[in-house]
Amino acid sequence: MERSFTKEVALLRKGKGEIFEGEGILAITKALLQSGVSYLGGYQGAPVSHLMDVMVDSKELLEEYGIHAEACNSEAAACAMLAASINYPIRGAVVWKSTVGTNVAADALSNVASSGVVGGSLIIIGEDYGEGASIIQERSHAFAMKSQCWLLDPRPNHTRVVDLVEDAFDMSEATHTPIIVEFRIRACHVTGRFECRDNKMPKYSAKNPIRDPVFNLDKFALPPSTYLQEKLKVEERLPAAIDFIRKRKLNEHFDGTQDDIGIICQGGLYNSVTRGLQQLGLADVFGEAEIPTLCLNVTYPMVEDEIVAFCAGKSAVLIVEEGWPNYLEEAINSILRRADVNTTIVGKGPFPKAGEYQAEVMLKGLAGFLEGVVPRGMDLAPISAAVAAIDKNKAQAAELLRAPIPKRPPGFCTGCPERPVFSALTLAQKDIGKVHIAADVGCHTFAVLPPFNMGNSMVGYGLGLASSAGIAANFGKRTVAIMGDGGFWHSGLSTGIGGAMYNDRDQVLIILANGYSSATGQQYLPSTTAGGGVDVNSVMPIENALKGLGVKWVRKQHTYQVGKMKKLLKEALTTTEKGLKVIIAEAECQLAKQRRLRPLVAKALAAGDRVIRTRFGVDEDTCTGDHACIRLSGCPSLTVKPNPDKLRKDPVTTVLNSCVGCGLCGEVSDAAVLCPSFYKADIVQNPGIHDRALDAVRRVGIGILQGARPPANNGAGATQ
Amino acid sequence: MNSPSEQFPDRTMALVISALGGEGGGVLAGWIVSAAEIENYPVQSTSIPGVAQRTGATTYYVEFFPVTHDRLDGKLPVMAMYQTPGYMDMVICSELMEAGRALENGMVSPDRTTLIASTHRSYSILERSAMGDELFEGDDVLKAGEELSKRSILFDMERLCQQTGTMINAVMLGVIAGSGELPIKPESFEQAIEKGGVAVKPNIIGFRTGLAYIRGELQLEDKPEEASRWGRRASMDDLLAAAGRDFPPEAAPIIMEGVRRVADYQSTAYGSAYLARVAAVLDADKAADGASHGFKLTSEAGRYLALWMSFEDIIRVADLKSRPERMDRMRKEIGAKDSEPVVITEFLKPGFEEFASVLPPGLGRALTEWRAKKEWRRNFHFAMRVKTNSFFGFLRLWMLAKMKWWRPRTYRFAEEQAAIGSWLDAMRDAVARDYRLAVEIAELPRLRKGYSDTFQRGTANYQRIFDALAASSSDFTGDAAQQADAVRAAREAALADDESKALDQLLARPEIPAEPSREAAE
Repeated sequence: MERSFTKEVALLRKGKGEIFEGEGILAITKALLQSGVSYLGGYQGAPVSHLMDVMVDSKELLEEYGIHAEACNSEAAACAMLAASINYPIRGAVVWKSTVGTNVAADALSNVASSGVVGGSLIIIGEDYGEGASIIQERSHAFAMKSQCWLLDPRPNHTRVVDLVEDAFDMSEATHTPIIVEFRIRACHVTGRFECRDNKMPKYSAKNPIRDPVFNLDKFALPPSTYLQEKLKVEERLPAAIDFIRKRKLNEHFDGTQDDIGIICQGGLYNSVTRGLQQLGLADVFGEAEIPTLCLNVTYPMVEDEIVAFCAGKSAVLIVEEGWPNYLEEAINSILRRADVNTTIVGKGPFPKAGEYQAEVMLKGLAGFLEGVVPRGMDLAPISAAVAAIDKNKAQAAELLRAPIPKRPPGFCTGCPERPVFSALTLAQKDIGKVHIAADVGCHTFAVLPPFNMGNSMVGYGLGLASSAGIAANFGKRTVAIMGDGGFWHSGLSTGIGGAMYNDRDQVLIILANGYSSATGQQYLPSTTAGGGVDVNSVMPIENALKGLGVKWVRKQHTYQVGKMKKLLKEALTTTEKGLKVIIAEAECQLAKQRRLRPLVAKALAAGDRVIRTRFGVDEDTCTGDHACIRLSGCPSLTVKPNPDKLRKDPVTTVLNSCVGCGLCGEVSDAAVLCPSFYKADIVQNPGIHDRALDAVRRVGIGILQGARPPANNGAGATQ
Repeated sequence: MNSPSEQFPDRTMALVISALGGEGGGVLAGWIVSAAEIENYPVQSTSIPGVAQRTGATTYYVEFFPVTHDRLDGKLPVMAMYQTPGYMDMVICSELMEAGRALENGMVSPDRTTLIASTHRSYSILERSAMGDELFEGDDVLKAGEELSKRSILFDMERLCQQTGTMINAVMLGVIAGSGELPIKPESFEQAIEKGGVAVKPNIIGFRTGLAYIRGELQLEDKPEEASRWGRRASMDDLLAAAGRDFPPEAAPIIMEGVRRVADYQSTAYGSAYLARVAAVLDADKAADGASHGFKLTSEAGRYLALWMSFEDIIRVADLKSRPERMDRMRKEIGAKDSEPVVITEFLKPGFEEFASVLPPGLGRALTEWRAKKEWRRNFHFAMRVKTNSFFGFLRLWMLAKMKWWRPRTYRFAEEQAAIGSWLDAMRDAVARDYRLAVEIAELPRLRKGYSDTFQRGTANYQRIFDALAASSSDFTGDAAQQADAVRAAREAALADDESKALDQLLARPEIPAEPSREAAE
């Protein structure tokens, strides 16, 4: 990792009675250490990348406890790590982004859950749902139901979260079941405080290794063990779980005076429910609410008698459950039916079926429920007024603003090495016509957004090439698949390249190799060199892997050379040579590179060393404001400004100081024959005598020429 | 509700920061959290990183309870995970359009919200990649911000940053502290920066800059009025005087700038030719009661005539790139210190077309026709990397710039003058029929811009619209008002996409005379 997480690691060292102040995901990491885990693993992805980053950075701390931490190659690999706890009483935790990661891990998850565990096994998932999510919108809930593992959805309060994580290990051991602990994006990033406990030495670890292997046929997915496992899941582990939840009081019941109604919510939504009630004047600042609330920190399984006891005697209960299908609402309805309790259950209706329960949705959902059920003695006027005020304010804003505020879609970072590949692909397609492009997951997915608007489908991480198997043969032209180096190592190597080679597929694959798993925070990959920062002997070059699979047509191309890249793309798309053609488009992730170089440059500058700073610029005199250069780039530092020319109306292009001098502007304007307005400036910092002398001579020479210009231009610099 | 809480405020305080990726919004949120911690208040913050951070809009939400932990005795408020419409005490936006977004989402309410926003613009990709001017107008945002907030602090923080060499997030923190709207002492904010430990010194300076500004101890410097960038010679004075005297005040500033531009481009005589051409337009304008239209025709015709007459050929580019003031401007733009030598590299890539443009008309036409016949000739370009501030690099540009005397004898010059003539004729004929039609035709040359392919597409689009809708010989079947609409629609369509798809569609409409097929036209 290029970044340093020393500060975070220090937080993880805190002992009993000390106050932890920090992010949720770190609090969870601390809870794992307080639980005595023997091993940790995972695959990066928002919102749980931070846990992985800190884990990798806290090697020293982990070694003190003999904890093994592994940066896994995929979520499947991470989940498979839990196999350790099937036979041995050791605790472990793995982490990934869900639901995508859980999809990848599903095979191992089913097997671990079926075999059962003797050591506490936790799966920490970051539920990437709602605003800012970068994946398909689904719920992880179904995985818990189908695999019969328990799902915790803790109330976002650091103390509660830490306690629940520790409880979850006990629960896992008591029920022989792996447990999924789900955290929403904001819960991972929320800051807060809790009182620490000491970190715990794991029972078994590298320091105290397990001596003998355990053989037990019952743990295998072979008949008849499978039937036994199924039976155990339903008849022993499930009742044990329900018992555990009840005894440990994992769910929380908050009393209220308005006891003719109630609210049952997912633990993760408790704060949002409370804010809604506060805004409606139904709860105080400390969360003391008038309406009784059952906060389900465990959303699977449900404790039937808890639900029945809460609902009995109430005329209506609101279920606050985010996403679709509404598993909780359906389950509660059937629980009450079985118990013959006639409470009206309201859920989806006042609340939308789809989408995140942000503040306004929550407020309106709560108000809608109350207006619908008319609780005993409650004055509904202020409730309706609170909602109306928001609507009125928004209507007023819309009227004053007159037009909707334009969107601001994300895009590639300044100087990103992947951008030039799409510039080249745009230019190549101008020459040979549009092609089908199977996109993949990664930063490069941004190519589907303006200005490139490029890519025809995307079905999963590392699946770019695999996803073109059906279309490649049925498309009139050779198709292109995109894959990042992250996706390549995650699954692309086997699903994509292996499949394409085995089936003699004739198509083009572009591997965008920027050296990191960049979209998730520049984590290292097997092929990462980190500009020489990684020991050469441990680097696994992508081209070696390709050779190993027998790919004949492999070309490596530095991404910023747009002209060459364009030529290469055209060649790959039009050559008569059949088979898979792979272009490895290589250049280091600019974020990582800048992070690596910036301190070095600062040091060199401070030491008085000669350092050349390169950046690009645009001549505002010659720019005519067509912005073709921007349409071929979209770099954040390449923007526009009102035209300084008094006659011209179209904004001129300009380069901001954030430019890192990657060179794409010049390359694009060259390859696309755009315009002569771009210039490259090499600024010599801490110039030597030679630089200064040369500069002085040049200035004199040029000055003489400029002075000798025809009179027409002599006053050019004068202002009036 | 329970009694113990009654001695405390009945609600928390909530702030949201809307920023763009890379502006340090997260750091700003961190400082505020840290300052609240220093005050010993319960505080929490949440954010949405992920894709939003990659240059998109992103928000950070901070909530705190202005009662110290020791007074609370272990009791803690329940704080929210989301910014909430109707609940916000402060909305902080690092950019104007993001302030608009906060307003649109109902985050700013008149009874409680202080809106702090920088009024500068950071353009979205959709604004940047437009083929013309599609910049979002911010005036409505300012108005809405002032009207819908309890208090609004709106100014160009970016300019303040440039003026003082500071970072916007630190300046914003200073403004927040200085606004006095939060029960957090300025010293606590400053301590928070120190505690953060990142670039402490510059951030403290930025913080104090924001604080000084909001306290009225520091003002934004006035932007100097930009003078004309074109040279002034004694021989031009008569022309300028004539322009000032003979043209109505609505048009005179544009015409004078036009004179400067055109005379600087070629010669005083050429400037004089410009003035004569606009004078003819003015006569037609007057005859058509232009006064009641504010002489819009003269202004716009004068604008585009000046731009057209100073068309960008290789001589012009070399001229502009070898001017002494250019180096000063570049140094400023790239932030090079006086002591630092700079090496400038130009990316030039002329093709046969550029060579043809400087040949005499007969030869130039022949070369152009020869070029059009084969794809390789059309695609042939000669890549040149010129180091402008090396002596010999400069010499190449300088010599090319000296070719100015030759320009009136070139193929390109002849072609442009002929096209200008038809355009002026069309305007003169049109203004007699419909004033608006003439103005639309006057604005049509806006499409003629760029270099190489861009220029060819622009001029081809211009010509197609001109022939079909604007030329005196056009067979447009509707009345003059409809024709004016059609010219405008066609111009907008030409700027809608860079493959002329929208224009193709528009020109295929039945009331528009059929044009020869595009292939044939090429």
